[in-house]
Amino acid sequence: MTQTIKALGQLALLWLIYWACDWLVTTTGLPVPATVLGVVALFLLLLTGVVKLHHVQDAADLLLKHLVFFFIPVAVGLMEWGGVFYEHGLVLLAAILISTIVPIVAVGLVSQRMQRRRG
Amino acid sequence: MLALGPTATTLLCIGITVPAYVLVRALYLRYKHPLLNVVALGAALIITILVLCGLTYKDYTPAKNIMTALLGPATVGLAVPLYRYRLLLARNGAAILGSVALGSFLAMLLAAVLTRLGGLPDEVVMSILPKSVSIPFAVEIAKIYNGVPPLAAAFVVATGTSGSLLGGWLLNLARVGDPTARGLAFGTVSHGQGTATALMEGEQQGAMAGLAMILSGILTAGFAPVVVWLLGFVPVL
Repeated sequence: MTQTIKALGQLALLWLIYWACDWLVTTTGLPVPATVLGVVALFLLLLTGVVKLHHVQDAADLLLKHLVFFFIPVAVGLMEWGGVFYEHGLVLLAAILISTIVPIVAVGLVSQRMQRRRG
Repeated sequence: MLALGPTATTLLCIGITVPAYVLVRALYLRYKHPLLNVVALGAALIITILVLCGLTYKDYTPAKNIMTALLGPATVGLAVPLYRYRLLLARNGAAILGSVALGSFLAMLLAAVLTRLGGLPDEVVMSILPKSVSIPFAVEIAKIYNGVPPLAAAFVVATGTSGSLLGGWLLNLARVGDPTARGLAFGTVSHGQGTATALMEGEQQGAMAGLAMILSGILTAGFAPVVVWLLGFVPVL
């Protein structure tokens, strides 16, 4: 029972941070998602010790464990977009493959080289 | 065709989605194969059931809004693993940030330029732009540039799946043996799916991939305006 109340309090804190960032993005028109701003904000709050890990970690870990659940309803929206894949499937496939293969190799090679130079 | 009121329809949609998730998740945890993607399989299963019941996406939308209400705070929670990686980040800061930045930028630019040259409509190009980052970031980034959230999610899953399937082989081919470098490559380009694959290679690869995945989400949001601006110089064929 106390565990549940604790987790709900932590959830409220996560919500508050998200809500504050959302408000900031809406009022300033910043071209950055509120969620990205929220991650950076909470990270800084944790680094400076304003928020402690035990203030958020139970709720965060539970939500992150099931993070993919939230994407399933979003992906159901694809039922209205089948035509795009039918019409442009080859271009999309080529774009996805090339823009996946090239950066994977680039990141691997560059980071390996940067580390070797250090060590 | 079912004749149900809006509340009953919404309850039914939730009643379809939650068991579908539980089932597909159990399947993934049992076999852990990159092709068994929870989002893709779950959505495919739900779409099939909705179509069989004669329900449209419009019927499903209220249920979707209820079920995704916690997505914002859940995403903010990604700061917790990022904070747990802070020592890793402090130790290899330049190498990590440099390579993740390069990878995020390249992935976005290549995807957007290729689809623009391929003659795809603007909303599709803007949806493919953030395809290398985790879905909660991708969906929000796409929205800023008039992309379509479900399309963005689909491209993210396609990228995660292809990166997870090809990544190990590509990195071997390029003679990238260093576990840190392999983890960064997986996480930067193939987000959570790549991180799961990296974790199967080893703990260090997994930690690096998890870190890279979150950083690439943040950096991609930062670079997106630059890529969209550059895209203005690409001719529409």
